[in-house]
Amino acid sequence: MRIKSGSAILIGVLMAGSLLAGCSSGEGESGGKTTLNVWAMGDSSKPMEEMAIAFSKENPDIAVKVQAIPWGSAHDKLVTAVASKKGPDVLQMGSTWMAEFGNAGALADLTDELGKYPELAPENFFEGTVNSNRYEGRAIGVPWLAETRVLFYRTDLLKSVGYESAPKTWEELEDASRKLTERGPGMYGFNVDVKEPTFSFMFARQNGSGLIQDGQAQFEQAPFREAVDYLDGFIQKGYSPVDLGLDMTQTFGGKGIVPMFISGPWVIKQVRDQVPDVEGKWATAVLPAKENNISSLGGSNLSVFEFSKNKDEALKFIAFLSRTDNQLKWMDATGELPASKKAWEDPKLSDDPNMKVVGEQLQQAEPMPIVGPWDRISQNYLKTFEQIFRTDGDHEKLLQEFNSMAQRLLDR
Amino acid sequence: MKGSSKAAPWVFIGPTLLLLAVFSLLPILVAAGISLTDMDLAGLANYSNIEFVGIKNYIDVLTDPVFLKAILNTLFYVLIGVPLVVACSLGVALLINMGQSRIFRMFRVVYYMPSVTNVVAVAVVWLYLYNPGIGLFNYLLNSLGLGSVPWLTEPTVAKLSLILLALWRSIGLNMIIFIAALQGISKTYYEAAQLDGATTWQQMRYITVPMMRFAIFFVTITTMIGWLQFFEEPFIMTQGGPLDGTLSASLFIYQNGFQFSSFGFAAAGSFVLFFLIIIITLLQLKLQRKQAEE
Repeated sequence: MRIKSGSAILIGVLMAGSLLAGCSSGEGESGGKTTLNVWAMGDSSKPMEEMAIAFSKENPDIAVKVQAIPWGSAHDKLVTAVASKKGPDVLQMGSTWMAEFGNAGALADLTDELGKYPELAPENFFEGTVNSNRYEGRAIGVPWLAETRVLFYRTDLLKSVGYESAPKTWEELEDASRKLTERGPGMYGFNVDVKEPTFSFMFARQNGSGLIQDGQAQFEQAPFREAVDYLDGFIQKGYSPVDLGLDMTQTFGGKGIVPMFISGPWVIKQVRDQVPDVEGKWATAVLPAKENNISSLGGSNLSVFEFSKNKDEALKFIAFLSRTDNQLKWMDATGELPASKKAWEDPKLSDDPNMKVVGEQLQQAEPMPIVGPWDRISQNYLKTFEQIFRTDGDHEKLLQEFNSMAQRLLDR
Repeated sequence: MKGSSKAAPWVFIGPTLLLLAVFSLLPILVAAGISLTDMDLAGLANYSNIEFVGIKNYIDVLTDPVFLKAILNTLFYVLIGVPLVVACSLGVALLINMGQSRIFRMFRVVYYMPSVTNVVAVAVVWLYLYNPGIGLFNYLLNSLGLGSVPWLTEPTVAKLSLILLALWRSIGLNMIIFIAALQGISKTYYEAAQLDGATTWQQMRYITVPMMRFAIFFVTITTMIGWLQFFEEPFIMTQGGPLDGTLSASLFIYQNGFQFSSFGFAAAGSFVLFFLIIIITLLQLKLQRKQAEE
């Protein structure tokens, strides 16, 4: 009896082991057919599955298996895939992760492969989206979806303080914010997003800061400091709320506690659905300009996993997804916006006034610097900025400290 | 079948030992190894990128002002949180143990409820309670004519707010332990004391509390180890802010390890915390033994 239970435990352990081994993704060919594993980020795998079916119809010898991974856990999943060197063949990558995983050597070098498919030619895409796929001169992905930040504002309230259209310059933005704040207690003009890691960097770029140039951090230079002072001014003068604890749907509707904010195109649908009372009383606009009005570019790219054994097929699938008609199909299914310039000529995008604004801003949008430690630098910046707007610390000194910290990370 | 009795205990503890070794001891050893290297994401992808750096990570982490702040915050949590948890759960247990009617039994469930509720759901509700603009707490204060409290937006107040939430969550479990210990005390002690004319307070002071010493000790140790690893509340509620005011040592380690992929640095941090916990626990064991001898 004892031996029996002992072996039962052993069998149990072995079975658990083989089950765990079974969890790792199945690779390669089954019956002469190549199986591609695709990780699509988001809550639903359905849109990508539809794409996969269409693809397999054209390429009967390639089967595509889709796994949906929620954005929130995607980074952890990717790290695990890198650690085990087992993962999908095709990856949807958030554009801010490119440097980190490029630096880790987890994304295949596609520089010489792009010429094989006309769909993947860099000139098909917005310049900024192509830049987000370059790491140390190599192409480590292909642009797929694009989003950029634009200004959302209440047309009726802006009109009430004498603005027939959205503020076009930094001066106008501040002036309009002051007038809107003067509407009364508890009223604000413009939301300085203190939790958004790209926010200040975007403004600094508009003020001519290079952020990082030739591996040198530029955060103690005047262009960056002036931008930080400008944003801090909104908070100190009470034009921008801090710790309000309300979300956009509460502040943008009704009296318009915060009638101007900057956010991405997904908010357009949110405003339409969740703040119906402001219909016809709001609009989007390209960002106000200082030296330029470059916005922050986000979105996602498609990459081939370095450890994939089906790189050619993976690229074929990526080329398929990059076709203009498929980019539009994807947009219909998900509402996510294409990175291909051709797709933006489609009436669905060019006739919609909000989309037109986004499309125009996409011409003036750049991704955050593509350096390995960027995520860490920007998180540290948020802490520095918190010290700037919450305490009376010396801006110059705080930014110097931040700059040398960033430089240390860059030199590592 | 004579020899079987010798092997029998191994069969029983074997699986546990195996699991402990594979999932606990081995990872600790691996982490100890990693803490001496500059392991990061690039190192994970290709082991040739890993370099041995000796104790550099330990020097870095111990000179990192943010880590020191996190340690101080953690000690703040422990110094205020642990006595509060022990006192409150003991108090609740004593009060609930006074009666046996249905209402007392109901309250046992009421107090236990927070312990079995999902922490994420709890945190969402408490985030609304603490909300500076539309939160219930500030609304109540304002309607009493008092000013708003910056619940989660001022470093010290935020720490206390998180302690309040954690206290509310942990009373239930410890209360159950205390009730079990209370019911283990023989009634004869109290009867004898009552015959001698001891007041309720005296009975509590000289019978209940001494008889519960081991339960109190157990709760203190487990609570303290738990609070030294304080993580969920700041992770969900504040992400360590404002101004790193609620950053705990565990959260610091998590952020460096899993957000920034500095595995070596984070492993060194976790060993510093590991030794801190061992030292504090040993110190407490020693104190307890001394007390028991007196």
